[in-house]
Amino acid sequence: MLDLQPLHDAILNGDAKTAKALTEQALAAGVAPLKLVQDYMVPAMGEVGRRFECNEYFVPELLLAARAMKGALELIRPLLTASGVQPVGRVAVGTVKGDLHDIGKNLVAAMLEGGGYEVIDLGVNVAPEQFVAAVKEKHVHIVALSALLTTTMPSMKTTIEALKQAGVRDQVKVVIGGAPITQRYADEIGADGYGESAAGAVALAKQVMG
Amino acid sequence: MNLVAAPNHFYQPVTRTAGRSDRREFYQAGGCASKGETQDVKGQAVFCKEWGDCHSGPATIPGVNNGFNAVVLASPRPVALPIAVYPGLALTGATVRDVVTNAQAQFDAQAALHQRYHTPFVLSAMDLSAEAEAFGGTVQFSETEVPSVIGRLVTTLEQARNLPVPAPGDGRTAIYLETVRRLRQLPDQPIVFGGCIGPFSLAARLVGVSEAMEMTVNAPELMHTLLEKTASFLTSYIRAFQQAGASGIIMAEPAAGLLSPRAMAALSSAYIRQIGGALADDRFALVLHNCAAKRLHLPAVLETGWKTFHFGAPMDIAAALDQVPADVVLCGNLDPTGVFVQLQPVEIMARVAALLAATKGRPNFVLSSGCDVPCAAPLASLDAFYAAAGTVRPR
Repeated sequence: MLDLQPLHDAILNGDAKTAKALTEQALAAGVAPLKLVQDYMVPAMGEVGRRFECNEYFVPELLLAARAMKGALELIRPLLTASGVQPVGRVAVGTVKGDLHDIGKNLVAAMLEGGGYEVIDLGVNVAPEQFVAAVKEKHVHIVALSALLTTTMPSMKTTIEALKQAGVRDQVKVVIGGAPITQRYADEIGADGYGESAAGAVALAKQVMG
Repeated sequence: MNLVAAPNHFYQPVTRTAGRSDRREFYQAGGCASKGETQDVKGQAVFCKEWGDCHSGPATIPGVNNGFNAVVLASPRPVALPIAVYPGLALTGATVRDVVTNAQAQFDAQAALHQRYHTPFVLSAMDLSAEAEAFGGTVQFSETEVPSVIGRLVTTLEQARNLPVPAPGDGRTAIYLETVRRLRQLPDQPIVFGGCIGPFSLAARLVGVSEAMEMTVNAPELMHTLLEKTASFLTSYIRAFQQAGASGIIMAEPAAGLLSPRAMAALSSAYIRQIGGALADDRFALVLHNCAAKRLHLPAVLETGWKTFHFGAPMDIAAALDQVPADVVLCGNLDPTGVFVQLQPVEIMARVAALLAATKGRPNFVLSSGCDVPCAAPLASLDAFYAAAGTVRPR
């Protein structure tokens, strides 16, 4: 019987090379792809999130763990899709128009992916119409907007208005976050949720999806 | 060990891998200090036009090694020093782009705020892209926001090794030096601070901030190669600020706050300590700003050997004041957006009052914003801040 605990540990330690190799071995040995995700990869990222929240892990450790998870997931995702397994949810993440900062967005994407969500990363400086297109074409459940600058915060409101004008606002939940963002601002612009830190991204996603 | 002996400890040779025992020794050094040693000077000269004016008085406070700390520790009331230049645009009509590309526009914005609030301190603008641009990085400008560094100038160790170190005054760094020269000419001679980025944050902008985080673990040689260069440039740049007439600088090192305390010590504090040691001027104020640092980072921050720190909203200032020696000054930490942009004046006054209450009886506390106050902050917010601070009232 193949011991898969090292896969969990490789992700926890941000060792992408080992995580990928162990995933390949496990798949070759006939381990069910969903078992790898549910029993080892998601728990590993859950532990990463816990350590991040407890100040045992910091941004570098989180990003490296996410990279390890992503590398392993790339091997598994086609198999999951082929067998009809759906992700927990599908999230479009992006830094809003006018803002070129990506680290907050990357952290949130990493945590969501680690929580079993399919993440469509739209990048930085994302125009409202790109978010609208993601909702229409990719059928996302959540739109996650990031902003670091005070001057780009209004782009969040513009994006929500664009979703309304396109008639898709009711199809998605909109969550927002970033250094200048507050719950008060989220309430003002009609967002469904506000995330204070990346560590809480999965809990927030679960909350807004009910 | 007492405070008199503490400075010798601060300027020991750099140890990048300072361990737990070193930090414990540091705290023993600071912890043995009697807070009473600073009390007898309270009530002396409050604000001096020059450090030298008060040097014979407050600068004799044991353990104080820069003029700014001497002024702060001697003040009978809390000193207020928000990091605010861009809100002055409401008074001058210029744009952010003007301020970051034109020394006169930058001077005008700060001079207008100085005129309005009688500030004893003036600053050059915080712009964490000018140094990266001087290294060759690509910058994107905006009319309403500070410039952003885009792309990655360095992706390999070889590129890091071959990267030339610019000279102070290259690119837009000249604008900040010239702004300081002009601020120095203000008739009432306020204390002038220059501003620069920190060595790790600058290196991160050269390789990409997100990528830099991973490189701290999987490409440390590349990061240290870059850090040697960024520290070298910043040492020269700060010297140029000294020569331009600045009485101190505020160095912004936000990216280091995303690291673990151990990584911060090795990849940021060690180089900042190196910079401070090279400058070797007891009167020149070296203020380290880190708006992402938390309380658990404090030991690593203190390893810089600097004695004035400026923190953002994540720092528990009151708790941090309990943790530092009495001659170390902490500044902070009202959220620049959450407070100055989003709250009403009456709410801002309440926040100021709460912070002052939490730090009451702490002569080593300076009331400030937690980071650069954006131009979106209305003047009414600064009016409320200064009114509540009670140190300087609007004209």
